[in-house]
Amino acid sequence: MSDKPRNSRIVQAAEAKSAENGPKPSRTTGLGRVIISIYGILALAATVRGVYQILSKFDEAPTAYILSVISGLIYVVATISLASPKRGAWMVSLWAVSIELIGVLVVGTLSLTHPEVFAHPSVWSGFGKGYGYIPLVLPIVGLWWLYRNRNERHA
Amino acid sequence: MIAFNGFFIAGAIICAVAFLVAVIATAIRRYPDDWALIGAAATEVFLIVYGIAAAIRQGGGNSVAGDPLEFWGYFITALIMPPIAFFWAISEKSRWSNAVLAASAAVTFVMLFRMEQIWQ
Repeated sequence: MSDKPRNSRIVQAAEAKSAENGPKPSRTTGLGRVIISIYGILALAATVRGVYQILSKFDEAPTAYILSVISGLIYVVATISLASPKRGAWMVSLWAVSIELIGVLVVGTLSLTHPEVFAHPSVWSGFGKGYGYIPLVLPIVGLWWLYRNRNERHA
Repeated sequence: MIAFNGFFIAGAIICAVAFLVAVIATAIRRYPDDWALIGAAATEVFLIVYGIAAAIRQGGGNSVAGDPLEFWGYFITALIMPPIAFFWAISEKSRWSNAVLAASAAVTFVMLFRMEQIWQ
């Protein structure tokens, strides 16, 4: 399967680009840039919201609000590592994206079974319902994208 | 209230046009389209005008119905997004640059909608 030739226009464009500008991981080019932007938007939204919740009404639901900030910071890590050409960034991305997927599934489930603990909204409550389910879909897209670019794992 | 709804309608139209142009550009261009970039710039200009109008309204005693901190948090977040999308888009020549601009326009609309909700 790994020997399958890639006829993707994205990959070709990325290869042509890295040929003229020196090596640049294809993870960070083409469609990857769209994925990274959506991660960036979510990172910004979740972090700002979490900080706001903690500043203004921390006592109401400490668990949910701390979770908000933590989820925001994980999105920040994912955004930076996905965009980074550095060694080891692929692995950091894999960890961050996996934690997000587990987080949205666990918190999404708990927000249905234990609504009293997660009564106050965070990115992950209700499987990311408040954010158009993007928090549920994005880690899956992220994992697929990392898998497509798995040759950069040790790069 | 009517004046501000006018703002909302204007903002919604600007975001919708910017979004559509960027989506079309994603389909037909292999580089960041000028009009898609202008669309992102237009949403940013709108946000600045909207922010000034909101500040005047708040200063004039007609304050936010919801939490002002939340309103301005949304505003600042919305404000820093189009420029980042703009520079992220022009730093690489590919069709996906336009998709980045489309995402920025869509999110700007959502944030404008939320700001209106908080205000009323």
